[in-house]
Amino acid sequence: MAKESVESGLTWEVRANSRPYHKHKQKKSFLCFHWGRYADNLVCSYKYSPLTFLPLTLFEQFQRVANLYFLLMVVLQCVPVISSIPWYITIIPLLSVLSARGLKDLANDLTRRRSDTEINSRPCDVLLSQSFSTMQWKDLFVGDVLRIHKDQVIPADILLLCSSEPHSLCYVETADIDGETNLKYRQALSATHNELTSHPTEEALAAFDGVVLCEEPNNRLYTFRGQLHWRRECLLLDHEHILLRGTVLRNTEFAYGLTIYTGADTKILRNCGKLRVKRTQTEKVFNRLVMGIVLSVLLAALLLAIGSGVFSSWVMSNTGVLSALVVNGNPAYTGFLIFWSYIILLSPAMPIALYITFELIHTVHSLFIGWDMEMYWQPADRPAQARNTSMSEELGQVGYLLSDKTGTLTQNRLLFRQCCIAGEIYGDASVLAEDTEPMDLSWNPFSCGGLFMSATSLVEKLRGQQCPLSRQFLTALALCHTVMAEWKEEAPVYQAASPDEEALVGAARELGWVFLSRTRDFIVVSELGVTRQYQLLALLDFTSQRRCMSVLVREPEGGLKLYCKGADIVILERLQKDCPYQERIERSLELFAQACLRTLCVAVRSVPEASWEQWSKTLAQSAAMATCDRDVLLEKLYDQMERDLQLLGVTAIEDRLQEGVPETIALLKQAGLKVWVLTGDKKETAVNIGYSCKLLDPDTRLLEWHELREILQSPDPGVSFFKARQTELWAVDKGRDGEKTAVVLTGPELAEFDQRPEWGATFMSLAEQCQSVLCCRVTPGQKADIVTLVRKHTSSVTMSIGDGANDVNMIKTAHVGVGIAGVEGGQAVQNADFALSQFRFLQRLLLVHGRWSYRRISLFLRYFLFKTCGFALVHIWFGIFNGCSAQSLYETWFIALYTVFYTATPIMLVAFFEQDVSAESSLKWPELYKSGQRQELSSPLMLSLSLLYAVYASLVLFFIPFGVFYDTAVDYQTMAVTVAMAATFTATIEIVLVTRYWTKFNIASVCVSVVLFFICTRITHNPRLFQKSPQDYLFLGVSDKAFVDPLVWLTALLTAWMAVLPSVTALALNVILTVHDKHKVHSASHQPVELRSKLRRGTSLRRSSYALSQGAGPGRFITSGTCSRSTAPPVDEKMTSNNNPTDSQGQINMKDNSDAPNGTQ
Amino acid sequence: MVKEELANRPDNTAFTQQRLPAWQPMLSAGIVIPGFVIIGLAFIGIGVALFVTSQSIQLLELDYTGVEQTSPCFKCSDPNAKNCMCELTFSTDTLFKGPVFFYYGLSNYFQNYRSYGVSKDDDQLSGNLDNFKSPSDTCAPYEYDRNNKPFVPCGAVANSLFNDTFKLYQIVNGAKKVVPLDGKGISWWTDYNIKYRNPAVTPLKNAFNGTVKPLYWSKPAYELDPSDPANNGFINQDFLVWMRRAALPDFRKLYRRITDGDYAEGLPAGNYSLQIAYNYPVLSFEGRKKVVFSNVSWMGGKNEFLGIAYLVIGSLCVVMSVVMLIVYAKFKFPEEE
Repeated sequence: MAKESVESGLTWEVRANSRPYHKHKQKKSFLCFHWGRYADNLVCSYKYSPLTFLPLTLFEQFQRVANLYFLLMVVLQCVPVISSIPWYITIIPLLSVLSARGLKDLANDLTRRRSDTEINSRPCDVLLSQSFSTMQWKDLFVGDVLRIHKDQVIPADILLLCSSEPHSLCYVETADIDGETNLKYRQALSATHNELTSHPTEEALAAFDGVVLCEEPNNRLYTFRGQLHWRRECLLLDHEHILLRGTVLRNTEFAYGLTIYTGADTKILRNCGKLRVKRTQTEKVFNRLVMGIVLSVLLAALLLAIGSGVFSSWVMSNTGVLSALVVNGNPAYTGFLIFWSYIILLSPAMPIALYITFELIHTVHSLFIGWDMEMYWQPADRPAQARNTSMSEELGQVGYLLSDKTGTLTQNRLLFRQCCIAGEIYGDASVLAEDTEPMDLSWNPFSCGGLFMSATSLVEKLRGQQCPLSRQFLTALALCHTVMAEWKEEAPVYQAASPDEEALVGAARELGWVFLSRTRDFIVVSELGVTRQYQLLALLDFTSQRRCMSVLVREPEGGLKLYCKGADIVILERLQKDCPYQERIERSLELFAQACLRTLCVAVRSVPEASWEQWSKTLAQSAAMATCDRDVLLEKLYDQMERDLQLLGVTAIEDRLQEGVPETIALLKQAGLKVWVLTGDKKETAVNIGYSCKLLDPDTRLLEWHELREILQSPDPGVSFFKARQTELWAVDKGRDGEKTAVVLTGPELAEFDQRPEWGATFMSLAEQCQSVLCCRVTPGQKADIVTLVRKHTSSVTMSIGDGANDVNMIKTAHVGVGIAGVEGGQAVQNADFALSQFRFLQRLLLVHGRWSYRRISLFLRYFLFKTCGFALVHIWFGIFNGCSAQSLYETWFIALYTVFYTATPIMLVAFFEQDVSAESSLKWPELYKSGQRQELSSPLMLSLSLLYAVYASLVLFFIPFGVFYDTAVDYQTMAVTVAMAATFTATIEIVLVTRYWTKFNIASVCVSVVLFFICTRITHNPRLFQKSPQDYLFLGVSDKAFVDPLVWLTALLTAWMAVLPSVTALALNVILTVHDKHKVHSASHQPVELRSKLRRGTSLRRSSYALSQGAGPGRFITSGTCSRSTAPPVDEKMTSNNNPTDSQGQINMKDNSDAPNGTQ
Repeated sequence: MVKEELANRPDNTAFTQQRLPAWQPMLSAGIVIPGFVIIGLAFIGIGVALFVTSQSIQLLELDYTGVEQTSPCFKCSDPNAKNCMCELTFSTDTLFKGPVFFYYGLSNYFQNYRSYGVSKDDDQLSGNLDNFKSPSDTCAPYEYDRNNKPFVPCGAVANSLFNDTFKLYQIVNGAKKVVPLDGKGISWWTDYNIKYRNPAVTPLKNAFNGTVKPLYWSKPAYELDPSDPANNGFINQDFLVWMRRAALPDFRKLYRRITDGDYAEGLPAGNYSLQIAYNYPVLSFEGRKKVVFSNVSWMGGKNEFLGIAYLVIGSLCVVMSVVMLIVYAKFKFPEEE
């Protein structure tokens, strides 16, 4: 047995009720050694322990090159021989940076620790020696037998053994895994069901000694392969028998299960992805530049050191006075020391203040995001939140938005908004659902609200018994579905596998056709207060190929009726000839489609008794056939039955979008973002939402996998792609809107990409030409894979947005992750960089905050680079004229204060407040956002230009005073003050040029900075300070003379003007050249965002979607009777008792011929 | 109650909503081009003023290094010559307007060499007697002599004090008439009164007990000007001028001013003779020595560079404004048509 299982890949062995066996093999680790097999159920997402915090945080922080560099500076400055600047100038900022970061990390870690503890200590019932006792999640082991209560979250991946429900069926909600809120069915093996429920459950379970052999832990949510070896039988297991961690048990009192995978081995945690540190693009470019600067500084220092060595040797042989100063009489050694001195002297080119300020600016930007009233969601009292405070500028560069569907784009609420019965349209979808006038439905005792349609005329017709078609229409709605009714407080509560059906049945209830209950053979409906019982003869279930479903019922009067609902294309081609109202109904379909409603056609057919008998016989025969042929045959048979239909009408259901979603998507598309939808939901739903949220235009051509694969496989994908969309559009639109193509993919199809990695690049180049890409039925892991694919093959910034646990992985993987703080648990928000309450806030987050932030930070970086490099590189040029002796051209105080006092605040305020256009204009002209996507302001080229400009400025800063003071009586200290003054002026003029948005703070800070330069200089040149400490205040009296010397002023002014001349010229040219462009932009894009889809005659706009679970519907459970609830309404008691609980193998949606025709008497 | 419920509601202030009132200057060609013209013209104006002023300044430079054999100081340039004197003659055709400043100039001399610059003891120089006995180690290697006696003043800067002296005569009818040189007030006020202080010991000489004079000095600090206690020791004007380091390797330092007697109005036209006590060796490091006579204006000494630089940049601005105008016209008019 063991051998076989190894061969088949089933190597994971779980023995029920044998704790010691599994405990022995538990996964353990010490340092970097791991052993053992089974992970424990402990979630541990935190990093630090009290012991490891300090070393780990220091290790992490010194992985940043900058920090390491500054540490080196501090060490160097502590060496007296080479220290050209006092040591405290660097160490204090460095310490503050390290501690600030460390504390921030610690705080984050503590939050994680707290949430971990919360999860780990959740209770669950574990079977220990014959009885269940409550334990915490973390104490769970593989092989434990668990009892799960109703509405409890399932703590690990477990094999369902049995449940309190008939046939050991149970319902789970998988919202946290795939985002679908409808319930899923899981059923235990009949073997375990029969054996374990027959005795008192606890005893039976305690005696259960099955061994499960299954595959190793993996991240595939929708598959499971395994065998249960029990009582010498080998039973096959698949994912239908498994309850996944994170799902919630619903509508089931108890479920009993065997723990298969725990903790890190569970499918959901395998899908979680790794926690990664995010760095912004700008930061990356900037870091590269910093490396460049550091290398150039090293190079410059090296050259200067060589120069110094040469000079020393020259001095040794010639100048008596200086020769004694050559250290140890060794020019090489002097050069070596000078090298380090120059590194210190040039280090202000990349000051640590930059990193402090950078952090501060990010924090303020994050605060602004949180403070924004327009992103505050009053109903939940929740402002937007920047959880990762160092990413704000990335928001201004997003190129790809990958969005979840359920809960993000849609509210997952389906509303019955309109219908068309016999050519008559009822309801008005142009009115918002909330604004619909509620109808007076007090006559209906079952009405409990939730119908957002105002159609009093319909109600009158129905109650007045005038229109048989509308009555039939509602009968169809009340009968043709797979909904279950559960009785709670004298009213039926509907449990539907698809929210569409729930909406339809609910609407019928409101209008007086109340679906009361169903048993295996009967459906009880109250029609305007009259209870009628229909015998259910056959249920022709929904499949994604058929795209329709039907019920065949015997009316209480005895007639046979087939009620059918389905996609318009399917139904319309099955209609009887010259069906009345068909044209008008078709037109209403178009109208509904324009309003982005999901439509379903409803039709009826009277079936003659004879043909039914004939048909049912054939059906029974074909049902007994072999599997593969049977499906084909069944489909054919269904086709035979669903024909000559009479069209009753059309339903129109609104899949409620989140507020403002179409507008937001339209705006983001204008801003050049590619919006992709990644969902665990069905293809039909996803496509429909794509249309309704204006992601796809009505005439967008959908490119599906089989076409896409042909294109990808063709030798020249670009050409075939062009052809593919050309041929299709030729008929429709003469290729005018050739770019209107969208790709629709599903999870299994995406899996093929894993095998063909070379397709990735091609696919991305195709996708770039498409309007959008919709990925349906994807697992959380696949969502992340798609994000990775985009990241890998484009240079764009990706953003993921989602609301559920299934989005966590993609949120983590994308450059920027946004979590929608919704009704569901905060998993997404916990892992997101930004948290929003509404999808529509995204437009403000990106177009306003992101754009501003990107601009501000780019300006900041470029300016900072300019002012510090321009100021520090002067020493290189001065070195040439002082024997490369690492003589500073500035007073040490000026070096210390320049970056902090004289130039820091103005640029900081620019980085806080700068707005080139107002928030309103940013939203009005989304095209402005594109400059961020192109990295126009922070490209390596732009940053290098700033650097080049800084080099130029440093040349000017040195050589103009040099020219003026050459061969004059001006001393070193006066020159130092002059250059310092020029440097301050240069920085100030430059910031004046950069600032476009002058708040009073900006004006004040610019003035104060300049004044501060004069005041601080005067202070440090004060005689009193000199008398206290002559070593530190050597410049006494210099400013007294220099500040009244016209030569100094004229030199400083000339230098400053010359230094900023390129910048001024660039600005002036910019003004002259772009002034017209701006006018164009302003005049051209005044049209408001177009929200109505453009209607083209002759184009079919209809689309019909029937959202049910992929694959076969839940019909088989219904017809097999396993779902009949004991909580049926009182009127139904007789029928329920009549219905003996058959344990049919019921894979066919048909009852045995024998008990069908004469079921009702 | 409503307020309590909305605890997280952000403040609706101009600051938090980023609606601070602000001035957003809208630049246009109409501002930029005239702006350039105005700045350019202003610079040209300043440049002209500087240039004219600079031209009006009279300047006389005499190199006395003695490199050429014809030079009167050639004999002194031999490093072995001791107490060598040489004499330079020159003449002026017109009145050299006063007050005339008398500089000495050195070139290729790196007073801005870092380890040279830090080689002094500021505490010692401000009269701290403790530092007389044990100078700060920044003075190294001019800290102690071979007998481990401290140098006062210590350090390389002081040690290398410029020690050539000059006497100026006007030759009137073949006779030498002394031109009085004023050595008072040539140093900075702060240097003289605050930065450098003699120890409060009288006589000054006693303070220097147990110390030695710097290696290259011919006489100790307390004998720099025995005639005038206010010009002696650390507050000797020549010493102070030397201690104020030059910025660049070619520099001048003020030696004397000619402000007294017959020469208050300047140096009249005529022949002059400059007597030089040639002590300071510069030839070893290819240095040059010179004396400079100059009068000054509001902008200090003669400085053609600044005026020309202003003129160049001013003209550049004007030229650029013309270019911009052309560009602007090219871009604008096609559109209007």
